[in-house]
Amino acid sequence: MLRKLTPYFFVAPLMIFIAVFTYVPILTSLNLSVRQWNFLTPDMPFVGLHNYEELFASAEFWNSLKVTVLFAVLSVPLRLGAALFIASRLIRETLSSRLLRGAFFLPSVTSTVSIAVVFSWVFATDYGMVNAILHLVGLGRPQWLQDPYLALWVLIIVNTWRQLGYDIVIYIAGLQAIPQELYDAAAVDGGQRFHVFRRVTLPLVMPTTYFLLIIAVIEAFQVFTIVNVMTRGGPAGATDMLVNLLYEIGFELFDIGRGSALAVILFVLLVGLALLKSRIIGSKVHYEA
Amino acid sequence: MKPENPFVALLSLLVGLLFLSPVLYSIWMSFQTADDFYAGRVTFTLDNYERAIGQFNFARYLINSLIVSGLVTVLGITVATLAAFAFARFRFPGGDLMFGATVATLMIPSHISLIPNYLTLAKAGLLDTYAGLILPAISNGFACFFLRQYMRGIPKALDEAAYMDGATHLQVLWRIIVPLSRPAISSMALYIFIAEWNNYIWPLVAVGKQDLYTLQIGLARLYRINPGEGLIDWPLVMAASTITILPVLLGFLAVERHLVRGITMGAVK
Repeated sequence: MLRKLTPYFFVAPLMIFIAVFTYVPILTSLNLSVRQWNFLTPDMPFVGLHNYEELFASAEFWNSLKVTVLFAVLSVPLRLGAALFIASRLIRETLSSRLLRGAFFLPSVTSTVSIAVVFSWVFATDYGMVNAILHLVGLGRPQWLQDPYLALWVLIIVNTWRQLGYDIVIYIAGLQAIPQELYDAAAVDGGQRFHVFRRVTLPLVMPTTYFLLIIAVIEAFQVFTIVNVMTRGGPAGATDMLVNLLYEIGFELFDIGRGSALAVILFVLLVGLALLKSRIIGSKVHYEA
Repeated sequence: MKPENPFVALLSLLVGLLFLSPVLYSIWMSFQTADDFYAGRVTFTLDNYERAIGQFNFARYLINSLIVSGLVTVLGITVATLAAFAFARFRFPGGDLMFGATVATLMIPSHISLIPNYLTLAKAGLLDTYAGLILPAISNGFACFFLRQYMRGIPKALDEAAYMDGATHLQVLWRIIVPLSRPAISSMALYIFIAEWNNYIWPLVAVGKQDLYTLQIGLARLYRINPGEGLIDWPLVMAASTITILPVLLGFLAVERHLVRGITMGAVK
């Protein structure tokens, strides 16, 4: 009898933690999203879909969704394009390409708050690195983080800088899996460099590209730290991405019902994307060499 | 490793330095006095570190971060290893379902649990405690999945020989599986530690007492005190930032290759 129970003892601690802090919270969020509550009142009346309606009727939700989608649409091609270009230059196993890979990867393990603080200085209007360089070559002094058009771009650049190394590592693995014979064949046929890239490399790393694309979109929908530290969603809501809005509604306005409704919406979006991702991994990421 | 063109090597070095220049410059800046930084003079001082550590409490934040990340790593790895062993070696009713539920956590965004976990810990009276920072971070579906895959590669004959000699399950796990899974366990430990060290949103909501700030919260607050009130003391902020980056940076440089390999395995397999 006891022997049959053995495996359950081994999995029990993990299962308890997963249940309490991951699965039950999904149900709790669903429940809270149809109630009105602000942490303080003793009861939380059922209000049906009121919180969702309120969100869908509010300009800030649509602004937030727009900003987040814009962030994703602008940053994904930047990330993937830069990463593929760099990766294709770093596939050889030389000392310098190893070191460069390390350099590009370093930000991925660095504290995001530190990165946000450092880049707040880089893009500071006065005494900032970028404006010092612009000044040197006789250009103006844009107020990067105070300008509604530029602030989102700054966040995109910072996010790209942080995530690029991961994309590069994955692309290198994808590129190295392309059989050398294909390149040899292309060379025999007298393929130009750009042609070989377009006809051989690009189609064969497509699965990797899809994988990274979805990861990048998922990440775009979860960006919070750089927003919270660098712009607080401002100026005038120009960088008020979805998780930042969730934080504001839940932990600054203490509107638990509306915050939970937003959390549920985000959850549905992200799980949908994640399912798409696992289908891609399941289908085929690698072309066997 | 192939020999290479010295010109290419030099160019690569420059590109790497340029890419990292914001962080490198921030470290350099942390050794300047504020006056000299603004005046564009070059000096060397440890004053910013003294102030960050003494006056602005960063010694305390550093200790908090070490305690929280350290405990999350130890507990997280223990819990993941135990479960991974069961998933790799036993077939039992509900096992596949539980393994599926573990892997599915990888898809679940953490924000859905932000408000509920806050309420759970508030009810348990654990907000503003180390336990409140640590408990929600312990379960790690990815680590469990990764370790289980690795353990399945260890020949079962080894376990069987040990069972013949009368070993218990725990002994087999501890004496055979764990030592043979060392590379996987250490790369997962590092992965958990780094992720927890850099965690921001949870400590932000779970902690209000300054004594319990982690480095991330301390740094964000230190930077946020300033804006709007004249010149920011950038060298001081950068000293705090360097304190925040350094431990993980050193750890990363020590084991870079393992970590990168682990990440690739997790993503493309």
